[in-house]
Amino acid sequence: MIIDSHAHIDAAGYWVDPPEILLPLMDEAGVDMAIVMTYRDADGPGHPATRYVVDAVNRYPDRLIGYVRLNPQSPGALEAVDEALGQYRLKGVKLHPISYVGFPYGEATLQVMRRAAEFSAPVLFHTGDEALALPQEVAEAARLCPETIVIMGHMGGYFHCQAAIQAALELPNVMLDTSAMPYPALICRAVEAIGAERVLYASDGPGCVPMLEVEKVRLAGLSCRDETLVLGENIQRLLAGVRHDR
Amino acid sequence: MIVDFRVFVGQSFDGTRQTVGDLVHGLDSLSLDRALVCPFKPLSYNLDEANAQLAAAIRPYPDRLLGAARIDPWQPDAPASLRRGIEMLGLRALYLNPWEEHFPADLERLDSLMEVAQAHRVPVLVAAGYPWLSAAAQVCALARRWASVPVVMSNGGQINISGLGQAGAALALAQAPNLHFDSAGVYRQDFIEECVRDFGAERVLLGSGSPYFDPRLEIKRILWAKVSESERCLMLGENAARLLQW
Repeated sequence: MIIDSHAHIDAAGYWVDPPEILLPLMDEAGVDMAIVMTYRDADGPGHPATRYVVDAVNRYPDRLIGYVRLNPQSPGALEAVDEALGQYRLKGVKLHPISYVGFPYGEATLQVMRRAAEFSAPVLFHTGDEALALPQEVAEAARLCPETIVIMGHMGGYFHCQAAIQAALELPNVMLDTSAMPYPALICRAVEAIGAERVLYASDGPGCVPMLEVEKVRLAGLSCRDETLVLGENIQRLLAGVRHDR
Repeated sequence: MIVDFRVFVGQSFDGTRQTVGDLVHGLDSLSLDRALVCPFKPLSYNLDEANAQLAAAIRPYPDRLLGAARIDPWQPDAPASLRRGIEMLGLRALYLNPWEEHFPADLERLDSLMEVAQAHRVPVLVAAGYPWLSAAAQVCALARRWASVPVVMSNGGQINISGLGQAGAALALAQAPNLHFDSAGVYRQDFIEECVRDFGAERVLLGSGSPYFDPRLEIKRILWAKVSESERCLMLGENAARLLQW
């Protein structure tokens, strides 16, 4: 089974990608399920972005799994986490510090991370080559919240993959996702360094095409067992532990 | 005919290397016909030497490989170096790397090089997307000053895994009709497809950036793009052949 651990749907904003754009691309790539989140950040409970994810998951329960994406600095952030993970039974939290302009290791973010950990839910951070999203900065947040599973999306981007691998080497609560970064060889290096169990296939689709992103993992030349873990078993195992009460 | 518009041969100061034999083997294995080859910046920092070595290395492959002269605009004799590269070494493009040679892509001093490029009707390839130095807007400013010179931005004019470079790259393409881009590592494949729709396939070139990027993956960005076959042919090689008069 192939599960995409990081894809997007949304109805408003710079990119408008309803689930009906993503689903045929998943089919084309042989992807069974995808974890989806919006591009927008919710600022509290009842936010339309979260509702959009919930509606999509309800419409396509066999294909889509939902994360809530939010601004941890908004006054309603913790209530938004409770609503999403508890009431709506979403499976994780997505944070994009560049989107909402906040330090990953700021107190508000740490509170959201700790709240997610109470649900045993992962926190997926955007990481990349810019301030606020450098793997070193996200690693500091992960160090301050050892009880939270932190997924470094994009594995550090174009120029910070090695920093993401190093963070995962030092911090057992850090996992890496393969989305959008363009280097099959660094997926192989990550697996060798931290073990296949902590590397997750992801596309950042639909803009980053799932078929190309799956191909990137295959070009990494992993063993059959490791490839199976990366392409789906790891995220399946991780999400099986998510609770919907605190 | 398939042409890879940007590959490197030699040994970089950062340790990255690729021999011409490795390159040709890689082209063969992917059924690529031709490539435009740029020199790495060598540990000696002597680009004249690197250009001469490149010209010698590709000379046995006149039907497969063309070379680009890499020029540091800070050197007082830069225009003479470019003329020598074109007239004596047979190089057929100007390669500028603002990041490694440390200059802004719209530097006024580049005009003397652009004048040579214009006189010899060679395209200018710019390592683009580097913060502070070669954002698409900066490359655009250079292209607009020299409207008759084809300018190609590497990496879609952006190295930004947040996607925040895309609007700027699209604006640059809209403002400078002589501006093109290569496809290496471009974030979101739908950016390529949208540029084909909005600006024409004539503005997009397959460029792998090998060995920094993996050509096995990079060629699939174009092969799997959702465009017409005639548009694909332009991107795969016809545009390169036109710009290089090859």
